[in-house]
Amino acid sequence: MSSARNSPTGHGDVSKPSPLAGVRVADFTWVWAGPHCTQQLAHLGAEVIRVESTARPCVTRMLPPFADFEPGPNRSGYFNQYNQGKRSLTLDLKHPDGLEVARRLCAASDVVVENFAAGVMERIGLGYDVLQRLRANVIMISLSGYGATGPDHDKVSYGPAQVPLSGMSSLTGYRNHPPMHVGVSYGDPTAGLHGAVAVLAALLHRARTGAGQHIDLSQWETSIVVLADALIAQQLTGRPPARDGNRHPRMAPHGIFPAAGEDRWIAITAEDDEAWRRLAVQMGRPELVADPRFAGLAARKDNEDILEEIVGAWTATHEPDALTARLQGAGVAAHTVATNRDLSESAHLEAAGAFTRQPHPEVGQRQHLGPPWRTTRLASRATSAAPCAGADTDDILRTVCGYDDPAIARLRAAGTLT
Amino acid sequence: MTAAGPLAGIRVLEVGELVAAPYAGKLMADLGADVVKIERPDGGDPARRRGPFPGDAPDPECSGLYLYLNANKRGITLDLTSPDGRATLERLAARTDILVHDVHPDEMSGCGIDYDRLCAINPGLVLTSIAPFGLRGPHRSYRATDLVSWCAGGLATLNGDVERPDLPPLKAFGDQAGYQAGLNAVIPSLAALFARPLTGHGDHVEVSVQECVAGILELTFEYFPYCGLVASRLGAKPIQPLCFMECRDGWIFVCCVEEHQWQRFVELMGSPEWASLEIFETRLARGKNFDALRIFLQEWCRDQSVQELYEAAQAQRIPFAPVSTMGDLLASPHLAQRGFFAELALPTGSVRVPGAPYRSSVAPWTLRRPAPRLGQHTDEVLRELGAELADGTR
Repeated sequence: MSSARNSPTGHGDVSKPSPLAGVRVADFTWVWAGPHCTQQLAHLGAEVIRVESTARPCVTRMLPPFADFEPGPNRSGYFNQYNQGKRSLTLDLKHPDGLEVARRLCAASDVVVENFAAGVMERIGLGYDVLQRLRANVIMISLSGYGATGPDHDKVSYGPAQVPLSGMSSLTGYRNHPPMHVGVSYGDPTAGLHGAVAVLAALLHRARTGAGQHIDLSQWETSIVVLADALIAQQLTGRPPARDGNRHPRMAPHGIFPAAGEDRWIAITAEDDEAWRRLAVQMGRPELVADPRFAGLAARKDNEDILEEIVGAWTATHEPDALTARLQGAGVAAHTVATNRDLSESAHLEAAGAFTRQPHPEVGQRQHLGPPWRTTRLASRATSAAPCAGADTDDILRTVCGYDDPAIARLRAAGTLT
Repeated sequence: MTAAGPLAGIRVLEVGELVAAPYAGKLMADLGADVVKIERPDGGDPARRRGPFPGDAPDPECSGLYLYLNANKRGITLDLTSPDGRATLERLAARTDILVHDVHPDEMSGCGIDYDRLCAINPGLVLTSIAPFGLRGPHRSYRATDLVSWCAGGLATLNGDVERPDLPPLKAFGDQAGYQAGLNAVIPSLAALFARPLTGHGDHVEVSVQECVAGILELTFEYFPYCGLVASRLGAKPIQPLCFMECRDGWIFVCCVEEHQWQRFVELMGSPEWASLEIFETRLARGKNFDALRIFLQEWCRDQSVQELYEAAQAQRIPFAPVSTMGDLLASPHLAQRGFFAELALPTGSVRVPGAPYRSSVAPWTLRRPAPRLGQHTDEVLRELGAELADGTR
């Protein structure tokens, strides 16, 4: 594994080329949205250099779960999941010499990514105009809560707030119950992934035209694009789709049903009459198929309460994984409502190659999720764990920013590299 | 300026239904790629039957979900289960940069989607296969709807009414697993294209929808490998207030993560006596005593207006957010001023849909063409291909 660290990009898989080998990313992001964006680039083989501060460490370094319950900035599973294969440079950007290091880093980088509040990069002297002077074809992407323009651009945004702000919460909930969250700061990864798409398109554009660009991404907007059908419904029918639990306007049954065991559940959906027939047969209730209450989608939707009661009474006595296998074997779309433990112990995900276990100096070889894609001819995942804070500072200063050892020692003595 | 977009000149074939592959195709079409969507002749993409429809009247050419996901593409019909259809697919693939599809793994070869075969025809092709459980592993043949993927990926487990263990875990609105899959599919596909001048070949990219969902569980997946703990939607949140409150004209998200945010909010409420109670002193204490806190907060919020409270909190740098309705978004001066919405023409009238969620300094986003009518561009594309219009391929 140490050889991967010493390869030109720090991330080479010797047997297969990485698609973004040779692309360097200066990563000024933190929390989740920005790191999720640069995580994609790191998996694709870009050299991603996280610029961090020990005085103000990334929020996720300080959040649980900590390995074996022992807190520490390098021990968070949250940070280590979303920063695989990146390198870490600690720097005091408030110090003029620290800013100079950052400028040299940007001058040597193809892509600069940041998710500070709108305007912060300009204030500290790393705005797009400055970066463009340092490197004419630089690609810069800013992922802010509301975007860099518009009357609300100055508002503050936290990850969990994007779910209600986007309208997702007003559409999510049990029938006749209040609006609900979705369980994670959904706006963050959605912004990060759209950001990664934009960066890759910009790299292709640069390869063709030689020109860089600045991308002003609004997390509010990336959270809305996945709700377009509700926006259209509002305009075409005069009302938004009603909060309706786990139900679906064109499928029934379509729900999450109790399974045997404490807080165990199974999702079952019948896409059409044929799927419903197969389900009824599995339930040992073939007579339900001809039952006028359930003959055809319209009838099943009209009688969905009783339909769900019947299905739920049947599922409640079955272990969810065994029932999943049985229903899938009969061609019914169903799956255990997986917990994090189910995923971690999944023989399917293990066999499919979903997990990575890279050595890490403080937490050992922990199980993480790699990228959700496999490739055949190209390498497609980071080959090192998330970095300890500042682990690569000296090497980056020497090999990327052009400082010699005495200069590095002076910077360190002055407290700039913290 | 390249008004055509950063992916101008890139050719994409999409064999997609509902959201996953169509959203991947849309992302590339919106960035300027020439995307040709292949639909089955008998009814086309099921998104055509999803709606929403004008006046709730079903019409396969007026489904809102379809019109949104397939604008900026051309559409052809091809029966991929017929030898002629597969032959046409191969001729199209010969001149294609990226072929993205969400045909189920068990049906891929029957539809002519076979990497070895297509690669022999076009070594530079990037074939991107989106499958509910990927192309490898014992569950590769499993079927999924969007709800099933959301649950298999572990996200549904994290949401639901904290106080009602009898109610099931709750999905998020819409086909969110599909959107996540579409996004994740584009990333390695464009990267493979970026590498092609150096490597001289394309690649086969396999995307698992289950893994796309599992990859966004925030901090919860690692609770098991790091601490042996199982995450659940049940149980109180450690930090409060981070909750929805009902105002006189809607709902607001009350969000005080840092102590100074809470203190400013208390001032904003006029420093009521209850706020100085010891049980509300720290964010952890407020989490522990949320049952009491909620009653006080709800009583105060009930008289407020969402917009006024949102603006007042934001003026103090407290990150509150409204629980926006669709009407709120359509009326937002901020979104309007950023030019976020685009006007999509319908047979009668038009609707506003989201445009690009980012502004680029070089390539303005444009709605170049509406979504195709079923088979609208079949002749045009086949003419381009110089193919014979044999019966059975129309």
